[in-house]
Amino acid sequence: MNRLLTYLFRTALAAILAFITLPLVVVVAASFSPTSAVTFLPSEWTLQWYAALWDSRWLDPFLLSVELAVIVSLASGLLGVLGAYSVAYAKCPGHTAIMALLLSPMSVPQIVKGVAVVLFLSSIGLYDLLGTPGLVMAHIILTLPYVVRMAATAMFGFDKRLDRAARILGASVTQRIRYVLLPLIRSGLFSGMTFAFIISFNNIPLSVFLVRPGQTTLPITVINHLEYSLDPVLAAVNVASLLFILGAIILFEKIGGFSAQFHGGSK
Amino acid sequence: MAVIICSTPTKPLRAVVPVKGLLPLIAPSLVLVLFFAIPMGMMIGISFQSQTEGSPTLASYSRFFSNDLVLAGLARTVVMSGLVALCVTVLAYPLAYYLARATSRWRTVIFALAIAPELAGVVLRTYGWLIILEDRGFINSALIWTGLITEPLPLSKNLFGVVVGLTHVILPFGVLSLLTSLQGINPNLEKSAQILGASRLAVIRHIILPLSVPGIVSSFLIGFTMAASAYATPALLGGAGFKVMATMVYEQVLFYLDWPFAAVMANVLLILMLAAGFIGSRLESRLHQKLHL
Repeated sequence: MNRLLTYLFRTALAAILAFITLPLVVVVAASFSPTSAVTFLPSEWTLQWYAALWDSRWLDPFLLSVELAVIVSLASGLLGVLGAYSVAYAKCPGHTAIMALLLSPMSVPQIVKGVAVVLFLSSIGLYDLLGTPGLVMAHIILTLPYVVRMAATAMFGFDKRLDRAARILGASVTQRIRYVLLPLIRSGLFSGMTFAFIISFNNIPLSVFLVRPGQTTLPITVINHLEYSLDPVLAAVNVASLLFILGAIILFEKIGGFSAQFHGGSK
Repeated sequence: MAVIICSTPTKPLRAVVPVKGLLPLIAPSLVLVLFFAIPMGMMIGISFQSQTEGSPTLASYSRFFSNDLVLAGLARTVVMSGLVALCVTVLAYPLAYYLARATSRWRTVIFALAIAPELAGVVLRTYGWLIILEDRGFINSALIWTGLITEPLPLSKNLFGVVVGLTHVILPFGVLSLLTSLQGINPNLEKSAQILGASRLAVIRHIILPLSVPGIVSSFLIGFTMAASAYATPALLGGAGFKVMATMVYEQVLFYLDWPFAAVMANVLLILMLAAGFIGSRLESRLHQKLHL
């Protein structure tokens, strides 16, 4: 009986893992397949779809998405540190309520935030801000709560005696920020900013309301094409952008070293 | 001989930067007000606007609740989200249980496999499901090739396709919320029950399942709210044949340009989310009390 259960459990696990990996495997396979007909294991392999990526049709949206993700992660990193500083470090009056306010955009679905931003810009006549400026606005609101939360977690664990020691030893304010505060919250801040980068780069529900012709992000370009065809070049676009995200994470990890906090914290 | 005076500070030490704690908040709160609070307020205001006169009106709300097409979309959204929440929880549970208890080196691999798809973004995964479920897709062409069916099965552009796609997208979140809860259960409880002669099944039914109810509730809640507000997966796997609130709001804003109506739909979606969140968190805290966690 017990052995049967173990066997059943393992089979269920394998099936669930297959369910998780199947779509990813299929997309990778399709990106190397020479025909647009969908076959699971193509008999011939080709790199033609990857070669086709070097085209302004894909490069322009890609560059816009990268630009957006960089601006958004830097801006929400800066704003997030400021917010987290007041709430978690300086413990300003009413810090619990202010923290709740800073996190409040999280409880509003993205699609609703998107509608709000597009109606706001249109009804005050700022149509020109649709496109990149509107995208930046909306994405910052989306990512700021995550950065605030991660930076605040880092600051709650901050040993204030270190700063006191630096002050007694005569460090100036800038030195204390530069050499004491920032290094100690660095991993929390970087994991927040990496998260912001990924969710901005992959975002659809907000971007879909704010893009406009000539200023379209990569995911939106892909779904606009997908509504008409399953062109294998789209598989190559998807695989390439996944590789880009993985590369960005590795790069951020090299700069920020945020994985240390996961290693330290887990059992 | 020098006298060392150890003075204890009479005032508490100031924080890192000698400014009032509220000063750094100016920038983030300005952004929050300008990009979030004002647009949200304006959207709620627009929902009471009438298209012709200036005075606030409930006309758009009454149009919403008397429009059968829209109400059908709302019902579809609720049914779809409930099903997705159920599937996510059922599939995430064994995975989370394994991750909470396993000590072998496979644990890291399986954890990575369970969470990593989240990096791939929604488009890649939905595209994968389109290839698999489409009329001329992987499953249908395989079944036709073996001769089991002659006509393709309707696997996409309907509820089934959307539930499969959304379950896949949301599964990692379900795993994480169940994992937290299952890791909190003392493994000694299971061991002592087994020593006292309980079968595996009895251990699962009488110990693990009851103690993990809070995790089940939070996984269900995450599944429901994420599914109800998802856009890309219903748009691609549901298409014109399966419209939900999110895709309908999008059409109102960008094609019909009926802003008051779009604002009403967005508000209804928001209220649905907040209600689900409220009920879920009440349920969770009550369960925590009951289980003395």
